[in-house]
Amino acid sequence: MPTVVVMDVSLSMTRPVSVEGSEEYQRKHLAAHGLTMLFEHMATNYKLEFTALVVFSSLWELMVPFTRDYNTLQEALSNMDDYDKTCLESALVGVCNIVQQEWGGAIPCQVVLVTDGCLGIGRGSLRHSLATHNQRSESNRFPLPFPFPSKLYIMCMANLEELQSTDSLDCLERLIDLNNGEGQIFTIDGPLCLKNVQSMFGKLIDLAYTPFHAVLKCGHLTADVQVFPRPEPFVVDEEIDPIPKVINTDLEIVGFIDIADISSPPVLSRHLVLPIALNKEGDEVGTGITDDNEDENSANQIAGKIPNFCVLLHGSLKVEGMVAIVQLGPEWHGMLYSQADSKKKSNLMMSLFEPGPEPLPWLGKMGQLGPISDAKENPYGEDDNKSPFPLQPKNKRSYAQNVTVWIKPSGLQTDVQKILRNARKLPEKTQTFYKELNRLRKAALAFGFLDLLKGVADMLERECTLLPDTAHPDAAFQLTHAAQQLKLASTGTSEYAGYDHNITPLQTDFSGSSTERM
Amino acid sequence: MKIFSESHKTVFVVDHCPYMAESCRQHVEFDMLVKNRTQGIIPLAPISKSLWTCSVESSMEYCRIMYDIFPFRKLVNFIVSDSGAHVLNSWTQEDQNLQELMAALAAVGPPNPRADPECCSILHGLVAAVETLCKITEYQHEARTLLMENAERVGNRGRIICITNAKSDSHVRMLEDCVQETIHEHNKLAANSDHLMQIQKCELVLIHTYPVGEDSLVSDRSKKELSPVLTSEVHSVRAGRHLATKLNILVQQHFDLASTTITNIPMKPTFSVFDQEEQHANTSANYDVELLHHKDAHVDFLKSGDTHLGGSSREGSFKETITLKWCTPRTNNIELHYCTGAYRISPVDVNSRPSSCLTNFLLNGRSVLLEQPRKSGSKVISHMLSSHGGEIFLHVLSSSRSILEDPPSISEGCGGRVTDYRITVVPLASVIVKESLTEEDVLNCQKTIYNLVDMERKNDPLPISTVGTRGKGPKRDEQYRIMWNELETLVRAHINNSEKHQRVLECLMACRSKPPEEEERKKRGRKREDKEDKSEKAVKDYELEKTWQDLERLKGILERGKEELAEAEIIKDSPDSPEPPNKKPLVEMDETPPVEKSKGPVSLLTLWSNRINTANSRKHQEFAGRLNSVNNRAELYQHLKEENGMETTENGKASRQ
Repeated sequence: MPTVVVMDVSLSMTRPVSVEGSEEYQRKHLAAHGLTMLFEHMATNYKLEFTALVVFSSLWELMVPFTRDYNTLQEALSNMDDYDKTCLESALVGVCNIVQQEWGGAIPCQVVLVTDGCLGIGRGSLRHSLATHNQRSESNRFPLPFPFPSKLYIMCMANLEELQSTDSLDCLERLIDLNNGEGQIFTIDGPLCLKNVQSMFGKLIDLAYTPFHAVLKCGHLTADVQVFPRPEPFVVDEEIDPIPKVINTDLEIVGFIDIADISSPPVLSRHLVLPIALNKEGDEVGTGITDDNEDENSANQIAGKIPNFCVLLHGSLKVEGMVAIVQLGPEWHGMLYSQADSKKKSNLMMSLFEPGPEPLPWLGKMGQLGPISDAKENPYGEDDNKSPFPLQPKNKRSYAQNVTVWIKPSGLQTDVQKILRNARKLPEKTQTFYKELNRLRKAALAFGFLDLLKGVADMLERECTLLPDTAHPDAAFQLTHAAQQLKLASTGTSEYAGYDHNITPLQTDFSGSSTERM
Repeated sequence: MKIFSESHKTVFVVDHCPYMAESCRQHVEFDMLVKNRTQGIIPLAPISKSLWTCSVESSMEYCRIMYDIFPFRKLVNFIVSDSGAHVLNSWTQEDQNLQELMAALAAVGPPNPRADPECCSILHGLVAAVETLCKITEYQHEARTLLMENAERVGNRGRIICITNAKSDSHVRMLEDCVQETIHEHNKLAANSDHLMQIQKCELVLIHTYPVGEDSLVSDRSKKELSPVLTSEVHSVRAGRHLATKLNILVQQHFDLASTTITNIPMKPTFSVFDQEEQHANTSANYDVELLHHKDAHVDFLKSGDTHLGGSSREGSFKETITLKWCTPRTNNIELHYCTGAYRISPVDVNSRPSSCLTNFLLNGRSVLLEQPRKSGSKVISHMLSSHGGEIFLHVLSSSRSILEDPPSISEGCGGRVTDYRITVVPLASVIVKESLTEEDVLNCQKTIYNLVDMERKNDPLPISTVGTRGKGPKRDEQYRIMWNELETLVRAHINNSEKHQRVLECLMACRSKPPEEEERKKRGRKREDKEDKSEKAVKDYELEKTWQDLERLKGILERGKEELAEAEIIKDSPDSPEPPNKKPLVEMDETPPVEKSKGPVSLLTLWSNRINTANSRKHQEFAGRLNSVNNRAELYQHLKEENGMETTENGKASRQ
């Protein structure tokens, strides 16, 4: 979940704050202090998060494009100038553009808006934007809700009382509402000071930037892992099942399956599964990833040398070309697999399926999957030359069952032509001829298109008269018989027009041994 | 995202009154004469469909698309109305397919033009439709049962699509009023019933259809709320293909569908095996095929407003289609794509040759990547068409930048520096630790051991990591020696558990390719090994022979699953090392490579003949002559020579060598 920090650099942010001690602070200093704290937290605990920094006043500017280099972000914080008035709408439009350009419309992003609650004046002020919200056309749509899954966190460099004294808080709440309720407003508790700003940003960190730790289990093998990005709660159906589902912190592997069988399944999200070393208190010592810090370095080196189940699992899945099915919660599964990026580095990855008993139609119900040994016969065959997957659906889809559609004349013509082509090759094509004839007959009966049956009967009779002298005598018999049967069906009387009734070839015998004919 | 939205239940009410037997007055040429053989023959007169036929085939097409894309949880109830209502199927999932509906329609047949029009009315059908909407579906029932006290959360909404020939706008009004009243009444009934559900929301779609060329007596009206429960819209549509087009548009609206046109599909003769006879000389052209699917497959385009991708649909229908380019698949390689959604498709023109060529190609198990035509010329693969068990899905592939790019490699993380993740001898390792073993367990352990023997005999590499080892690492026989030692340690640790554990050890000891003393000697001086080789040969041959016999004996029992066992047994692990060169350790007998040189020049033939000979030798008492033979030659009449006191010259026995 990439983060965009949107920092208000309008003049109102330079308003001084009275703090203890001699030094004079401005609100923007408090903001920078809070963001520094956020960046430091990410640099240690959330280092794979991409963050961008946007500053805005009446204009907006992308100061730092998406990066994991928190030093750059930190530097940019100290190089911010002061500008004119606040114009939030254009900044939010800017955020839309930046995110969509970088990540498209499907990746969830967190937007951290840092402002003092002065929402501008005149055109471009938030009040003005909200007042004109209902008069928008498609071309100047209000940027909220964001055109990508999002959370909007508004960090106010003001306390609640101050915001409530104007309609600022109402306006900001409208913003969250407009973002489909996705987001939250944070205000400073008590007087504006560094300590209280810290505690406000601490709340944001707790809410949005705490790493997700879990235990990966497979039988009696376990590993402590961090799952990145954090898996977000998922709502299956607001009406029936409105409670967001959260994934277990015990991730139990319940089985393994070939990549070919699972076959590029659709997933809600995918996450890195990083093994972590925990000390006795359960605090994270490190992910084992090399770092510049020397203390950490040695700890990591030790961690690197302790066998870890994740590494074993990753290697096994990679070698075997399989994925592990993992239980995420009741009736909720995911898969673990080895993912190689372009640079030949590879990693253990987890993808989440949609919750439900049957997330992938071609695997059937997850609850019915079991070990090979449970099956009477090995479903993969003795030589591993077959697979029980994909499961075949009970009913074939229209494109797999040769349905009859005559909406376009060409559809009808093709079907008639097929009959005609086979008619001209009688008796060799007797079987195909009758098969096509019966297909047409069935459809004509279902559509109540009896004129067609009459028409085709006439056509077959004409074909009979056009038979060359060299034609096999059976051809004439079959054509006459077929035409007669179609005519009977075209009366629509139940006796001859039964849907399940099939016209069968006339039994003829030209071997000469018998002169009797049916 | 609601399961029980209006589209959960669709009721078709099709007018079966005498008037519907009228011609739609749109002709269909069905007698397409083929050139050069039909001179002087006048083609048969074109025929035309009745209003009924047009209505039925259009609604069947609606159902076809719906069933293709939503085979479950979207249900249709088909009602035909004349002097009464004929309900052709139920809400049950078994009734939800085209074949059932077609058979039921055939049983109804076309309307009788001579029936008394006074007795017939579409109202019967509409009343029945409301009634059927109150009936609970399997899915609703299941959800209610599951939710228990929250059962009221399960919604009951539905849609009535009524195809009729109305007389006037006021006639239409009358129909709407009737539906509204009926809903009111039935909701009262349902309130007091366990088996019925009140209708919360009903969407009435009235389609007035009339012959081409006539003036419509009914005006179109967009959706209007008649009551909090009922909305209604009126479509006045000419019959024939116009009606079909209308229903195609409606099915897209009702089920949130979107259209994708696959362009640049090459149809070469080898590819279009569908119907040889329809082949024409110039088949190497590129074709387009239009598919329908849920609109979420376009989520990236919809949100980014990337409309330049779309052209207008070929069908001239209201919706735009998004064009994606076919990328000829290179191989059938199995790859795990990052796929954010998979949506069932339905071809717009299911029976056209390009459509069936494409669908057959996919149903045969090939996947096709689809590329976005971009102005900049950069290639962006955004979708994939692939079939899973006879169903074709449009997969949405992530084409934007990954937020997980450049992740730390697993080899840099915890446990990443450990290179010798132990060979896991499955199932032996997991079984042997048990306190008691079953006969089957013992058999499994023996199987494992024999497989290792088999691998060693064939000189297969042990799949262990080479990462972190400098140079070539331990030699192969050394690897096997370490493996056997580890295995022995493991098994020995458990022999006190039971007699069966003991048997596993016995099997292991019997199978070890070298006796323990030799192991010791080898440890002391590997260099001397080559020199000693010859003297060891006899021992080795014996061992090898014994192993083989054991193996063969067991093979009969264990033939099944052997190969996959050999595969599954040894899980190698090292994160970044390449796969072992020989992933399938078990090769065919005749591919068995000769035994390593250091083990002496024993060819496969020798092994084989030794084995055959040994087997044969047990069956009879050996001829004295063969027993005493040298190089398989026995000298006859030796006694004569002895008697003559002459030395043998031809068959100097072992002493000669």
